[in-house]
Amino acid sequence: MNKVYSLHDAVAKFVEDGDCISFGGFTTNRKPYAAVFEILRQGQGSFTVWAGPAGGDWDMLIGEKRVKAYINCYTANSGYTNVSRRFRAAIEKGELIYEDYSQDVLMLQLHAASLGLPYLPVRLMNGSGLTKYWGISEEQRKTLEKVDNLKCVEVENPFNPGEKVTAVPVPKLDTAIIHVQKASPDGTCIIEGDEFHDVDIAVAARKVIVTCEELVSNEYIRQDPTLTRVFGQCVDAVVHVPYGAWPSQCYNYYDNDSHNLKEYDKASKYQDAADAEAQIAKEKAKAEKKGLPYTAPANPETFKDFLDKWVYSVKDHDELLDKIGGARLMRLKNEPHLGYSTRH
Amino acid sequence: MSEYKITKQERQAYAIAKNIKENQIVIVGTGLPLIGASLAKRVVCPSCIPIVESGLMDCAPVEVPRSVGDNRFMAHCAVQWPNVRFIGFEANEWLHDSERLIAFIGGAQIDPYGNVNSTCIYGTGDYVKPMTRFTGSGGANGIATFCNTIIMMQHQKRRFMEKIDYITSCGWMDGPGGREKVGLPGNRGPQMVVTDLGIMKFDEQTKRMYCAYMFPGVTPEIVQENTGFEIDCSKAEIFPDPDQEILRIIREEIDPGQAFIKIPKE
Repeated sequence: MNKVYSLHDAVAKFVEDGDCISFGGFTTNRKPYAAVFEILRQGQGSFTVWAGPAGGDWDMLIGEKRVKAYINCYTANSGYTNVSRRFRAAIEKGELIYEDYSQDVLMLQLHAASLGLPYLPVRLMNGSGLTKYWGISEEQRKTLEKVDNLKCVEVENPFNPGEKVTAVPVPKLDTAIIHVQKASPDGTCIIEGDEFHDVDIAVAARKVIVTCEELVSNEYIRQDPTLTRVFGQCVDAVVHVPYGAWPSQCYNYYDNDSHNLKEYDKASKYQDAADAEAQIAKEKAKAEKKGLPYTAPANPETFKDFLDKWVYSVKDHDELLDKIGGARLMRLKNEPHLGYSTRH
Repeated sequence: MSEYKITKQERQAYAIAKNIKENQIVIVGTGLPLIGASLAKRVVCPSCIPIVESGLMDCAPVEVPRSVGDNRFMAHCAVQWPNVRFIGFEANEWLHDSERLIAFIGGAQIDPYGNVNSTCIYGTGDYVKPMTRFTGSGGANGIATFCNTIIMMQHQKRRFMEKIDYITSCGWMDGPGGREKVGLPGNRGPQMVVTDLGIMKFDEQTKRMYCAYMFPGVTPEIVQENTGFEIDCSKAEIFPDPDQEILRIIREEIDPGQAFIKIPKE
């Protein structure tokens, strides 16, 4: 069976408004950015999100107000942005409905979803703010169709009376998107390097889009079945998208585009021109009050400018690659003896 | 060759390295703990085994990684486990009564019992709408549940507080027996806090923080001035600076690009 789609058609068919959705990858590694950009262009939103260790991927969708409920454990382009800035601003302004789990719990929840478990008891989060405070109240949960009715419940281990454990719900995912190194038209995937939670969400979700660096034949991909990680029958769409994790890393293929991640770090400080003006005026007033010198940045690039430049002004992924430029992409290529690039 | 003038961060990195013991499995993040663990691995304690929460085990990066999922870790480790295996390993170390794990965590606020906040600062708001929001727990809550920890923190009054806004990673809770009461392993918890002023430890009886070591030039007055609760410095000794060779290794071999150890220009 041939599951090969264009990026446009895969996203148009399998990403719907209101989906409960999760992406693969880890902060700045193997994030399915090409698919994120296509979602941004097509306009889907109102997502209930199980974010995993997220970075710019969900920060962009939060900044563009495509998220209805955000279930978080960590959101940062580690090493470039300490706390993702649109995520942070949305919470500080009270504009984002969100919930916190620890990363361990959230990853175990996604794993439990892949195992088909009804709920999950953990020895984690006990005694912490993570069980004490709920980002989404029980009341509010009743109004959110795709959010579980409770965040967590303290229960006793029936097999060890007296032991307190925390029970958490198991995600019911509509959609998962992962970016892999190799996939074949029947949906079989090879993931090189750490699989992260990608296999878990590919098994758990009803609809699965795989974007891949290389599209290889069904025969080729099973030459060595020790390398294959996702059963093709779990997958709905296979999309050939070289550099589809850009600007994040892809093991054995390319490194972070540190220039782009730094550009996003700066730009995402300001939502748009009006926000930049307001923030700069505030900083200026603060400096003046303290009697400190202040040089206002002239026409700083904003989050909106960044998305116009790298997402909305290009028609598709091919146009994006042309815009990034061949030489720049070549410099990102991993050096096989090191496993990363020293040339960018 | 001119003499290297030590920085605060190098003191912290060295203090980290000196507190890693033979054959310990060390959970590192990026930043200073990684520099400290790299120094331990190269010079101070070569038998230690660095692992990261993304599931990469026995890491030996050549270039300093920027995140725990970085290809720089991934390409130079023994096993590339998915994160859930790391979590299971961490829990099983506790179930097996193993004493091998030691972990580094950081945060924005800490209280006298070593409870750490890395989620948000309320200001005039609350958890749902805080003044300042951070990333969230990451692996820290799980690490603080199952492992002995060394906490890394800038020593400032606004960070060392009698009561913190939110507990992301549990320390000794409210004192002796506090962890057991809330269903946490009582035989695990914070061992020390490495700051830019010295090394704080926790009293075995009361579980309250005290100052065990001060870096050269630091006085009990300076430590108290920068701590938002009363801190006992009466037992504090001076933690000696490393020699020039250690500084050379940090600057020329471990972090030549100054990714985490910034060297001020002469």
